[in-house]
Amino acid sequence: MTDQGVGGSPTRVGGRDRVTGHQTYVADVRLEDALHAKLVSIDCARARIVAIDVSAALAVPGVRLAITANDLPQPMPRFGPQFIDRPVLAVDETHYHGEPVAAVAADTHDAAEEAARLVRIEYEELPAVFTIAAALDPDAPLVQDPSFRPGDPLARTNVLREHRYGWGDVEGATADVVVEGTYTFPMVTQFAIEPHGFIAAPDGDGIAIWSSIQHPSWLQRVIAGLLHLPLSKVRVFAPDPGGGFGGKQHAKYEPLVAFMALRAGRPVRLVLTLEETFQAVRRGASEIRVRSGFRFDGSLVFRDVEANYLIGAYADIADRTVGKGSYTSSGPYLIPAVRIVARSVLSHTTPSTAFRGFGNPQQIWAVESNMDEAAGVLRIDPLALRLRNLADRGDAFIPGDTAADGDWAKTVERAAEMIGWGSPPVAGRGRGIALGLKSGPTTGLSYSTVRLLADGSVVVHAGTSDMGQGARTIFAQIAARELGCPLEWVTVVMGDTAVVPYDQQTSASRSSVLMGNSILNGCREVQAKLRSMAARLESVDEDAITVDRGEVRIGERVLPIRDVLIRGLGRLGGEVIGIGEMRKEAEPDHPLGGTAAFYEFNCTAVEVEVDRATGDIVVVRHVTVSDVGKALNPMQVRGQDEGAAVMGLGHTLMEHYIHDETGRIRNLGAIDYRIPTSMDLPLRMESDIIENEDGPGPYGSKGMSEGALLCVAPAVAAAVRDATGVVIRDLPLTPERVWRALRDAAAPTR
Amino acid sequence: MRAFAYERPATLADAVTVLGDGGPDARPLAGGTDLIIRLRDGSIQPRVVVDLKWIAELDREIRDGDDRLTIGARTVMTDLAADRRIRREFPALAEAAAVVGAVQIRNRATLAGNICNASPAADTAPALLVYDATVLVAGPGGSRQIPIDAFFVRSGVTTLVRGEVVTAIELPRAASSPGAVHLRRTRRRGHDLASVTLACAVQADGTTRLAYGSLGPRPVLVTDVTGVLADPAAPERAKVERLDTLFVAASPSARSMRASPDYRLAMLHVLGLRAVGIALGRLADGANAR
Amino acid sequence: MTIQPIEVTVNGRARRIDVAPHHTLLEVLRDDLGLTGTKECCLVGECGACTVLVDGVSVDSCLMLAVEADGATVGTVEGIATGDRLHRLQQAFLDTGAAQCGFCIPGQLISAQALLALTPHPTRAEIEEGLAGNLCRCAGYEQIIEAVQAAAAADPAASQGAAER
Repeated sequence: MTDQGVGGSPTRVGGRDRVTGHQTYVADVRLEDALHAKLVSIDCARARIVAIDVSAALAVPGVRLAITANDLPQPMPRFGPQFIDRPVLAVDETHYHGEPVAAVAADTHDAAEEAARLVRIEYEELPAVFTIAAALDPDAPLVQDPSFRPGDPLARTNVLREHRYGWGDVEGATADVVVEGTYTFPMVTQFAIEPHGFIAAPDGDGIAIWSSIQHPSWLQRVIAGLLHLPLSKVRVFAPDPGGGFGGKQHAKYEPLVAFMALRAGRPVRLVLTLEETFQAVRRGASEIRVRSGFRFDGSLVFRDVEANYLIGAYADIADRTVGKGSYTSSGPYLIPAVRIVARSVLSHTTPSTAFRGFGNPQQIWAVESNMDEAAGVLRIDPLALRLRNLADRGDAFIPGDTAADGDWAKTVERAAEMIGWGSPPVAGRGRGIALGLKSGPTTGLSYSTVRLLADGSVVVHAGTSDMGQGARTIFAQIAARELGCPLEWVTVVMGDTAVVPYDQQTSASRSSVLMGNSILNGCREVQAKLRSMAARLESVDEDAITVDRGEVRIGERVLPIRDVLIRGLGRLGGEVIGIGEMRKEAEPDHPLGGTAAFYEFNCTAVEVEVDRATGDIVVVRHVTVSDVGKALNPMQVRGQDEGAAVMGLGHTLMEHYIHDETGRIRNLGAIDYRIPTSMDLPLRMESDIIENEDGPGPYGSKGMSEGALLCVAPAVAAAVRDATGVVIRDLPLTPERVWRALRDAAAPTR
Repeated sequence: MRAFAYERPATLADAVTVLGDGGPDARPLAGGTDLIIRLRDGSIQPRVVVDLKWIAELDREIRDGDDRLTIGARTVMTDLAADRRIRREFPALAEAAAVVGAVQIRNRATLAGNICNASPAADTAPALLVYDATVLVAGPGGSRQIPIDAFFVRSGVTTLVRGEVVTAIELPRAASSPGAVHLRRTRRRGHDLASVTLACAVQADGTTRLAYGSLGPRPVLVTDVTGVLADPAAPERAKVERLDTLFVAASPSARSMRASPDYRLAMLHVLGLRAVGIALGRLADGANAR
Repeated sequence: MTIQPIEVTVNGRARRIDVAPHHTLLEVLRDDLGLTGTKECCLVGECGACTVLVDGVSVDSCLMLAVEADGATVGTVEGIATGDRLHRLQQAFLDTGAAQCGFCIPGQLISAQALLALTPHPTRAEIEEGLAGNLCRCAGYEQIIEAVQAAAAADPAASQGAAER
């Protein structure tokens, strides 16, 4: 095995449990006496609930609970990270296909299933809106009751919010060439291999919750608020999720399960079926019109973006994805005049939520496709067009926000070099390139505790959720490096709010930077205490002592930390504790509430072959390069980047929800919702990273994990255009869609 | 899923009785890769599931006969895809069996179960049609043989009567094997249900047999006796026209999630032409090898 | 509801258990035998998270009734290591970083084990096909494939007749 330190790739902490089947996910947690719960919903996109009869359900042997909205506090408790809009159970009306109207709990899973089948619901199907056009129609039924937004002029529309950003004068700008297009992005779902799981159990005078949640502290706050409990009486256990991708960030059915557990006086366990997860979480779909003006030499003069994102029936964090994602629609370019209007449009569909990329993949699909079309119109090489407009390090490419924080040109040039851009094209193939960025976290607060134990081993408490990105490992690497102990001597404790201090959330690729720095700070505090110890022991001034990595240096003398520690702790023993705090304060005047801690920048270049007769796209080569500052664990970075790339190929080539004419989802489950398998990979996938140690995180790192997904779709579409001449503005690029586009292009007079 | 009783008949006679008596409330279980999905989603709710895998008279062998190959009812897709004789003499069937799902599915799914399930998209059906297979059946009325083309009625329906069980599937061995191939259209390169599934066999005497599935309620066999398709020297245009005529009855569902009707029809023609070319090539290779 | 007694050898240990006919092998392994290493995801035989070995062959345990395993030998992820000694496949998965969130990994390991038993020196295409019934959403599959290649190369029987590919 290679170097164990930071920048090395030691074996994943928690890896052994994962390869032996001993890793405990929430569905593996066994509680004595737990009741099994099942959700009951109506097979409609929208319905008025007339009556619910649970008597037959309650008569099933072993059934302990069958609840509806009437059994919950009045008025119905609601929750949500942006709007307090989501009811614990549907009241009067259901607003999306799969919204629970009742829940049952029984001694056995079989009894719960049978009881769920026996719940009788009398309902009246109502017309549902599930497209942007339908939702924006002036006569459309309102998804959200206007009373949720008193005084809001948009309250009588399905536009939840409209975001406006920009600078300069778009109207007055004069361009030689204007390229315009409308680009659509479908509804897709996270499809983590682990379906969501939730357990709640009465815990003394409080409650304990187990959840596959990415934000344990946030969930704690939500539950405490809904149950009117002090935070200290709500304990959230957050086992490592089996994939999150944003779909497990915010509370979904934990509140319901909590009410049920308190009602039953016993633990209640709910694990969603895969079909139920499709009904519970997805990405916002979008229609984005981009109008860009260029000078003949390819310089961007203006960019005018109007984006409608179709979010679901409840806001969840969807509007934030719209606001934050569309905010960077100008891309990493220097554009004198920019106007962005982005709307969150409510619909009677699965509530969209955070999903890797957070609103950016949709707009990058639009703006980078637009750039590629512009390259064609301008007769400028697509790579050259990007480089001409690309911001340099230090450029204030978005006025009022963090300046460009990387050598982006180098990232682009590396990708171009790897794909062989400019080399003679192979017959029948095409190449495409796209680049983009997303803002890192705009605010943040991460606490950690670092405990240097008496023998020099270390325990770190950090509230980040390790859902596969490898947070646990890099935290251990940081502590091991700073405190000079072997990696195997570090234990990282996560996922228990009773034991682990506050962490705002795990999202926005923030944890390397925010929690990483927090742990670094915790280590610094431990080091400071060791300096005091050494000063006392050696009768030397503290200023004369440095503690660096595993060593205490006093002038010429070098002492291992362990020696100082053992002597310093003395007879009573004990430990040295450091508290780490990393904070990024909000900036209320900023449109996003804060500037970007860093940018995730990626360039993706692909080479494809298109079978013109069938429309099949084969990605022959896929190159992805990310600007990461410092790869704390290169093996994990590669895993995340290549994983993100393949996930991007999913929405690029095959993933989409299919609805029937009334708004029901037709392709629930794994048979008709297709994601890439091991046989759907690019024939050759290569990833690389740019490391300039120019990030705000430990050792110059930046966040990563989302970048390599951002630009996949426009790169592939550009390659298809290069290979066939055909421009396609709608995803996914299924064989049928490509075939149809080729056919329509060949017979334009149809 | 809902509870049901489970029977494990040890003999064919017992199985026939249990299935006959049970009627629609009794469902046979072979590989389970279709049945269990339907049990889970509640689309079927049998009172009893009858496991056919313990019946003494049914086996998993592929037996050599002079003029036929007999495939036992318990033979799974993995067996077919790996069997030397199937690969050499009935390559379209081997190729179809190799794509009926991923390896975990292929290790359980039986050929008999695949045809009894009678999905219009069953991948093995087109191959069995072009190879003129015969289905051997045992039932309350005794044993009988059903030509494969008379076996399928429409989606989910075969000509089996209540209580009948497939005991084997026979493939006639020709004096000289045709050149044959199986092709299909899917939404991704990874395993998927086919939106078009097609087999083609070109015989040395100039007859071309094509069978397609997923373009209508049941798989369809068409035969070209003009010799145009089998003629390596015939211009492509002539073959295309011949295929157009042969495929005229194809009627893809308008409701399918997997592909639109016009795409399916277009792909039928694309695959048909490609299949003919490959089959011709294999016929020539086979002739050269002798 | 009738109960059916079955005899099944799981990870080398003979078990005699009573099962309900409508319970799948997956449910019985997880809930009755406490072997939670095998995972539940799609329950329609598409994702492979539930893959186990039955009589040496990989199957989706969600598509098998427990009663069908009567008399069979079942292998789950918990049975791959020998005591605390990892199998070279598991070590390879660790060495290449193949496990990220880890949820698909038990199924991947079983499928890889089955593949290598059948084809000790698989080509890249054979590995891709052999793992095609195991969905992963975290990795791009590359590191998983590399792990299988590494394990194949580390096969102690490698010296004998490794076919030219």
